[in-house]
Amino acid sequence: MSEDKAREQNSIPTSKVERSAKFVKTGFKVGGNYIKHYSKKLFNPAMDRTELNEDNAADIYESLSELKGSALKVAQMLSMDKNILPKAYVDQFSQSQYNAPPLSGPLIVQTFRKYFGKSPEQIYDKFNLRSTNAASIGQVHEAELNGQKLAVKIQYPGVGDSISSDLKLIKPFAFRLLGMSEKELNVYMREVEERLVEETDYELEVRRSIEFSNACANLDNIVFPTYYPELSSKRIITMSWLEGMHLKEFMLTNPSQELRNQIGQALWDFYNYQQHELRAVHADPHPGNFLILPDGQLGVIDFGCIKEMPEDFYYPFFSLTSTNLLENKEETIKAFRKLEMIQPNDSPQQIEFYYGMYHKMIGLFAKPYMSSTFDFSETAFFEELYGFGEQIAKMPEFKQARGVKHFIYVNRTNFGLYNILHELKAQVKTDTYKPHVMLVH
Amino acid sequence: MATTESIQSAYIDYVLTEGHEPKSVYLFAKQNEMTEEEFYRFFGSFEAVEQNIWTELARRTITEAKGQEIWAQYSARERALSFFYSFFELLKGNRSFAVYSLKKQPLTLSNPRVLEPMKHLFESFADDILRDGLETGELTDRKFFSNKYKDALWMQFGFVLKFWINDNSAGFEKTDEAIEKGVNVTFDLFQRSPIDNLLDYGKFLAKNGGLKERMGF
Repeated sequence: MSEDKAREQNSIPTSKVERSAKFVKTGFKVGGNYIKHYSKKLFNPAMDRTELNEDNAADIYESLSELKGSALKVAQMLSMDKNILPKAYVDQFSQSQYNAPPLSGPLIVQTFRKYFGKSPEQIYDKFNLRSTNAASIGQVHEAELNGQKLAVKIQYPGVGDSISSDLKLIKPFAFRLLGMSEKELNVYMREVEERLVEETDYELEVRRSIEFSNACANLDNIVFPTYYPELSSKRIITMSWLEGMHLKEFMLTNPSQELRNQIGQALWDFYNYQQHELRAVHADPHPGNFLILPDGQLGVIDFGCIKEMPEDFYYPFFSLTSTNLLENKEETIKAFRKLEMIQPNDSPQQIEFYYGMYHKMIGLFAKPYMSSTFDFSETAFFEELYGFGEQIAKMPEFKQARGVKHFIYVNRTNFGLYNILHELKAQVKTDTYKPHVMLVH
Repeated sequence: MATTESIQSAYIDYVLTEGHEPKSVYLFAKQNEMTEEEFYRFFGSFEAVEQNIWTELARRTITEAKGQEIWAQYSARERALSFFYSFFELLKGNRSFAVYSLKKQPLTLSNPRVLEPMKHLFESFADDILRDGLETGELTDRKFFSNKYKDALWMQFGFVLKFWINDNSAGFEKTDEAIEKGVNVTFDLFQRSPIDNLLDYGKFLAKNGGLKERMGF
């Protein structure tokens, strides 16, 4: 209990100076880890980078988990891209998807009084002041009203303000971690900032959650909590409580292939229905946002991050993943140009090179779409995918910005989806909601 | 018939409309249709009126905070946090007056006179929660220092008050953050910390004399 308490009461550094200090500290530590690594390597040349990566990941996670808010969100995003990050980073970052130290009880009471003029006890029949888990920019509490069990999400104060300054602070780390160039990052950081700022708007989230859960109501085996707009505000969301297991716990129960397929199918349909019918997608497919219910249905619990796909991205991109366009080199290059993967001042050799690489990349990405069913337990596919990702990451040609900004969330969504399906070891019918294809002109 | 409340609200209304305190008690009494004597029956001076407004706010905060169902389950730290949050929530309704009252005197770490009586109330409240905290072992009893804890809390209070006066954020959200962080840091200092262990270790080494010689110092 006292241990618990100590963690709970840890302060969150929110002023920019404090946050900078945190990051600087991490910078030193990471630098130190490199020194440690190379000095050890002097004596043991055979040593690989695993230990170094583990040290770095632990230090970065430690500092991020103290910062909370958007920094934690970035940690979560980084953990999505398993194909970019070495395994050690991923393991540490995955922790951040479930636990972060919560806020004090009185602050929660205060937040309620500010937005509703009442304390939580006056609003709900029961309210547990100790939070059950963190939701990266907020925390979740259990409550009850009229016999209905509720999940109440409360946002940390000051999160919105600190997002852009956080992103500025995290940039140098992202350079180092992802080996990206600054130009490339700026394009993407703006896109990320937009999404993150949207995520802090809980009123928007409630509206979208209701919209999306209505739009997806016809899908099989997908359930959404009921949202209560009258019990929600800028910083508080009240929804019904879904009882279920997270993916990791679920897999430990040794579920049957049939059940895994059912859940995988639900997930696939959910995402592809959104992408191809709604043109806007729940762009946060990390395992913490899903619950597997006892009756084998999939619960979706977080609509904070929605990526809308404009037509000038959707058509060129998904035309490529549809069956035969990739076989037509001329049309493919046209599409690549529209997506800025091939740029106007590229030389013929460059065009040839990027055409080859992106052709392979999209071919890999589109593989599940190419047949009517796909077995996501197939390790070979993922090894090829990650292997190719790593190969690309090392190429100097890919240090520059390539591709329109929409890729960042669309890739995150689809690779996130593939990853979850892989962890589920699910076989999925992939032709349920097909892309709407149109030739690029 | 004048009451404490009626005089207080007439006074607040006056200073906020005019931007300064009334020229004399006589004038103020006359404007509010009472005799000077009547005024003095309640307050000795205008300053006393202001002092009483502040004290009243703190008293209401304490009553309100203690009235919460959850109060009994709160730790000392949470009780302090709860007081701070409730106080500044209540103060929001009187922000103009608070700003007026505090801006008259530069708000430094030393106490403005208008807060003097409120400080006594605050300290006795702080004493209560700190004593509970010491009894349950939540806070560390340190010789000489334990009875200074309440002073540290009062300083924290003064700091947050100053912060709030200058806070431009919507809904004074920044003040909430200042409270969460400030009070937590203060209580972290009240708890057992590495310093205690260091002192303890030092004491041990000192007591087990001869060590110095053995260590070759």
